[in-house]
Amino acid sequence: MIIVTGASRGLGKAITERLTERGEHVIGLVRSTDGLEIEGIECDVSDYSSVKKAARIVKKMGEPVEAFINAAGVASMNLAVTTDESTVQKLIQTNLVGTIYCCQLFAPIMLRQKHGSFINFSTIAVALALKGESVYAASKAGVEAFSRTFAREMADFNVRVNCIAPGPIRTDLLRGITDAQIEKITSQQIIQKQFEKSDVCDLVELLMDRRASSLSGQTLNIGGV
Amino acid sequence: MKIEIAKELVIQTIESALEGKSEVKEEMQLIGGVALLDSMKLVEVCLALEDLADDHGFEFDWTSEAAMSKTRSMFRSVASLAEEFSKQSES
Repeated sequence: MIIVTGASRGLGKAITERLTERGEHVIGLVRSTDGLEIEGIECDVSDYSSVKKAARIVKKMGEPVEAFINAAGVASMNLAVTTDESTVQKLIQTNLVGTIYCCQLFAPIMLRQKHGSFINFSTIAVALALKGESVYAASKAGVEAFSRTFAREMADFNVRVNCIAPGPIRTDLLRGITDAQIEKITSQQIIQKQFEKSDVCDLVELLMDRRASSLSGQTLNIGGV
Repeated sequence: MKIEIAKELVIQTIESALEGKSEVKEEMQLIGGVALLDSMKLVEVCLALEDLADDHGFEFDWTSEAAMSKTRSMFRSVASLAEEFSKQSES
């Protein structure tokens, strides 16, 4: 079984579709299962008790969890000085705290089975220190730091933890970003082009693969920095 | 579950995690400087207690505030873990 948060849209949806196509049993953790085309559990990742409830449901299913993909996230592109308090709270609570809740509450399932892979999501904005993404980047830098340390804590149990840090991928999160702004970002990558959702899906498959068993605590920046 | 039974189960579980290398006593500390178990062994004990709780028809929650609190942590000692295990069996 593979669990994907934020499976109803954006990268989460693309990853879910890719994994379903290859015959995996995918469960989506989503705020609402209305219209969801795969098996889903309603869960608000920013709410501890909601994540705990979802973990309990999954544990009762009794099926091994091969991978847990933390794709749920929110974005807001603003200068720090023009970001209001509620947006700051929402970014940190969903992107960072939500990832931590999912990892800590689903980890016991993987610890018990002594294998598994967590794939968390950062952003290339962390490595590039992109202007106008300070709070968003801070929330994702937290995810990277958490993932590195969490990877060490899980290693003795053969559970791997890695991060994917995409650049500007065409999803709802990029609403309102112009082509010129995207080009300005991609020009700072080693491979200076805009990557697609499918490239992210490829990396997810790579990190899940047992042949990637030597990789843990890493952040893979798409396009390179 | 009576506290005596819980203590017996918890001690057996810890002894098993320690592969019989140490005699386990109620007052022994589970976390902190002179802890009986390292953090990984503690996780193994918790997973084993989860299984035992399943066998006894209840759910053992070791990620709660009661587990993590510095002052009230169920991992203060073997006895406090047994008390919490017994308490959760009755809730």
